[in-house]
Amino acid sequence: MSKELIRLKDVTMTFDGETVLKDINIYFNDKEFLTLLGPSGCGKTTMLRIIGGFQTPTSGDVLFDGVRINDVPPHLRQVNTVFQKYALFPHLNVYDNVAFGLRIPREAEGPDGKKQKVKLPRDEVDRRVREMLEVVSLKGFEHRSIASLSGGQQQRVAIARALVNRPKVLLLDEPLGALDMRLRKDMQQELKRIQQQMGITFINVTHDQEEALAMSDTVVVMNEGVIQQIGTPEDIYNEPKNAFVADFIGESNIVDGIMRADGVVEIFNRRFACLDGGFEKDEPVDVVIRPEDVDIVSEAEGQLKGVVTSVTFKGVHYDTIVDFYGFKWLIETTDYCPVDSRIGIKIDPDGIHVMKKSKYSGMFGDYSSYSEEYDEINDPTLIDEESAEGGEDEE
Amino acid sequence: MKKNGFGGRSLIGLCFLFLYLPIFLLIFFSFNAGESSAVWQGFSLHWYGELFHNRLVIESLATTLLVSLLSTAIATVAGTFAAIGIYSLTKKWRDPILVVNDIPMMNADIVTGISLCLFFVAFFHGWGGIARWLNSWQSLIKFPTRMTLGLTTLIIAHVSFNIPYVILNVAPRLRQMDKNLVDAAQDLGCTWMQAFFKVILPEIKPGIVSGALIAFTMSVDDFVISYFTAGSATQTLPMTIYGMTKKRVTPVVNAVSTLMFLAVLIVLIINNIRSAKQARLNARRASFEPVRENPRVERFKAWLTTPRGKLARRLTAAVTCVIFIGTVGFLTAFTQSRPVVNVCSWGEYIDEDLIDEFEAETGIRVNYQTTDSNETLYSLLKSGGADYDVVVPSDYMISQLIEEGMLEELDYSQIPNFEKIDPRFRNLPYDPENKYTVPYTWGTVGIIYNSTMVDGDITSWSSLYDDSNAGQVLLINNSRDAFGIALKYLGYSVNTTDEDEIRAAYELVADANDRGVFQGKVMDEVFQAMEGGNAAIATYYAGDYLSMLENNEDLKFVVPEEGSNWFVDAMCVLKDAPNFDNAMKWINFIASTDSNLRNMDYIWYASPNTEALEQYPAWYEEQYGEELDPEIYEIMAAPQEVLDRCEMYIVLPRPTRAFYNNLWIQLGI
Repeated sequence: MSKELIRLKDVTMTFDGETVLKDINIYFNDKEFLTLLGPSGCGKTTMLRIIGGFQTPTSGDVLFDGVRINDVPPHLRQVNTVFQKYALFPHLNVYDNVAFGLRIPREAEGPDGKKQKVKLPRDEVDRRVREMLEVVSLKGFEHRSIASLSGGQQQRVAIARALVNRPKVLLLDEPLGALDMRLRKDMQQELKRIQQQMGITFINVTHDQEEALAMSDTVVVMNEGVIQQIGTPEDIYNEPKNAFVADFIGESNIVDGIMRADGVVEIFNRRFACLDGGFEKDEPVDVVIRPEDVDIVSEAEGQLKGVVTSVTFKGVHYDTIVDFYGFKWLIETTDYCPVDSRIGIKIDPDGIHVMKKSKYSGMFGDYSSYSEEYDEINDPTLIDEESAEGGEDEE
Repeated sequence: MKKNGFGGRSLIGLCFLFLYLPIFLLIFFSFNAGESSAVWQGFSLHWYGELFHNRLVIESLATTLLVSLLSTAIATVAGTFAAIGIYSLTKKWRDPILVVNDIPMMNADIVTGISLCLFFVAFFHGWGGIARWLNSWQSLIKFPTRMTLGLTTLIIAHVSFNIPYVILNVAPRLRQMDKNLVDAAQDLGCTWMQAFFKVILPEIKPGIVSGALIAFTMSVDDFVISYFTAGSATQTLPMTIYGMTKKRVTPVVNAVSTLMFLAVLIVLIINNIRSAKQARLNARRASFEPVRENPRVERFKAWLTTPRGKLARRLTAAVTCVIFIGTVGFLTAFTQSRPVVNVCSWGEYIDEDLIDEFEAETGIRVNYQTTDSNETLYSLLKSGGADYDVVVPSDYMISQLIEEGMLEELDYSQIPNFEKIDPRFRNLPYDPENKYTVPYTWGTVGIIYNSTMVDGDITSWSSLYDDSNAGQVLLINNSRDAFGIALKYLGYSVNTTDEDEIRAAYELVADANDRGVFQGKVMDEVFQAMEGGNAAIATYYAGDYLSMLENNEDLKFVVPEEGSNWFVDAMCVLKDAPNFDNAMKWINFIASTDSNLRNMDYIWYASPNTEALEQYPAWYEEQYGEELDPEIYEIMAAPQEVLDRCEMYIVLPRPTRAFYNNLWIQLGI
């Protein structure tokens, strides 16, 4: 549908012998909202910095519109960045921050064909700054100092400052990380709106899967410097490629299974109907069952039988942890089942997703340590750790 | 915990009292109407007024400001870039380098000073060879072969000790700075240099400013390092203050010290207010909390971003620059540019109005320095650190300097006033053909004693070694005079080379020393001790006795019956003097009858000018409306029969000088 804008070809990045990115091959389309998603240290920020020009890959090529730009310095790239914690210039007010890039003389071809430094006329600068401040809903804030703005307002200034230069690509490094939960939700919408209004490519980096699913056209899940899966949010959620993706995106129960035939998978020695096929006969597989796809029925009717070990009220539903033969599942249900009650479950064929075994098999999907994992997702300190990824030292 | 409040607080109070009381006393007494630093005699700004008429103070103040401003500017730029360089290193290198940066600040100043001095002297030495070699095979550019310590070395030294302070202040600002700011600027189209000026510089500006302020105060304050690197012809304010305390601590010293204290205090207060403000701002920034500024401040800041505000900002910057350059230029002109003559003489040895008059008459700036003994002067000249044109050593030192080829022959055609020098003071043994010297003053060495502290009149040198005056005698602090007097007392010649005789003289002095007769060794410190009645007996020069008499009427002077030393101090010009013609003008000016009369009146040393000697009593009467006490005139210009009892020093052969030196060191009072 849309044309390719940036491509990373066999990009590898190592810092002090430690491989941060490994043989990355990926392309970014024009006008798409793409999110690099992964836990801290997965290499996503490094990838962003390579695109921005702040780091040069150890090997491999960066192509922009088909041209190799490995050695083009940041100030000559048609790419702008919204930095973590915004990196606004504290000594300038809102207007001057936004106007900053426009006031730098650019090299351009003059009428005589010679390259010369051209400065944008003042009224043009003014027009574009005001226009952009309107886009980010900061009209009337022109003369406010940065210190007097809230986090959300600073975020908007950072976006305006980057977009005013009319880049082809906007890079966003954990743009919502410093905001509180409520504001984050609002800004997700806002970012999406701005992207559509500007009609350019946004490449967003985050470790927040909810944010990634809500905003993106394409999600790239990364771990340990390797791309795990590329796809639309729906693909990523419904058909995770491996246990890592399944676990990282949303909640999943991941259990060992054996593919008895196309459409038939055996879990806990019981056969379930599924929609997947194309496996060897009797191939061991990982089976993902999303907590909301499990129906609780009476013990007698159940395909599997287990004991409720914990119940947490979540508003719309209950998070119910059920022990099946020593393996703990998370089930989201609107039915209240008291602890220690014995229940049965039923799973529809489209609720079962079968994946090939991978190196992540057996590492995820058990909810015996449910509460810890849940805490981790909400741990704000992880945001800071992410910045250590740059490979250089950190205070 | 609260129970200890009172005890704790009073302890703190005591501590601060101990810290600040001396300074408050100093400030208090700087407003004293009288001369005393202990008795309050009413409020007066007299000493401050005097301060601003003291040419040495004003000139050294100008030097200090020039050196501080220039070295601060250079160190600030260098230190800032160094800090940025250090900051861009990895942690592995950065931390050790910051520790290395701390060392010069903790290092003893005296070590820094001496090492810089050695470095410069070694460099000059090496440079001399290179320059001669360069001059030998090309004649296009003539490189100077002789370089000396001076303003340039002083500035380099100050730059070198200021840089660490700038780094120390800039580094934390860089560390606090969001690393992404530079990336952001480059992302928006800046090259690294543009990013530096547009983003880094404004961010670290508070650090740079406080670094510069601290460097400036360090520079203004510094004494020790300056002392070793300024050379002879340049003096900073602290060096001048130190020099002023040598003779008498007058309240002028209190006044100038008070002003220095206030200046440093103001700079520190400004710096502290700035950093407090900055700390508040940082706290705010870190918390991401929106804080409304004072609306007036906000409005002002908004105005600053309007075209008019920007113009105002640029104008302010331009005016600051112009003021800085103007100040530096003015100070340079004031201290450097005019034709100059560098004179080194003894303390309080000239009527300073004569210097002003000479400058007004000729337009030549007189760089007037002082030192306190022939031996000090000699070692200064030998060390290569001195850059004088005219020096005023005593007879024996002159012959030594001539012997070592350190003096230039004078051009007497440019010194018509030489004709007025009394024939008695021409062709003296130290300069038999009178090719090198024009006498400045002459006089005798004798005993100065406090008649209220000594029984009867003193007529013999014996009182110097006598137990009855134990602990009350001041020994003159140079080997020639100290042993010369002992030789005279023992009936030998002051110029003997017989080691037994000299040893006998040494033993006389050493024995008296062992018995605790001497209070100490002094040169110009003798003024304070004798005027204040802190010692009963001292050996010193007749002219200085008359100065002391003005401040303490109980003092008496005698040239003992055994005879003494009589001396001539004469003006000479050093070999390769850079300002030879100016030196001739200066010598001729000082040799005039008028100058001699006024000098005689001011310093109480006898003049070698025939007319001045004759006219002085009448001139005195005319000036002060009273007759000159003939006794005083006789002490000043000793009559022939006294001179007949006295001997002039002749330069001793090298082995004898070494022998003197060894004994003097052995004495080690």
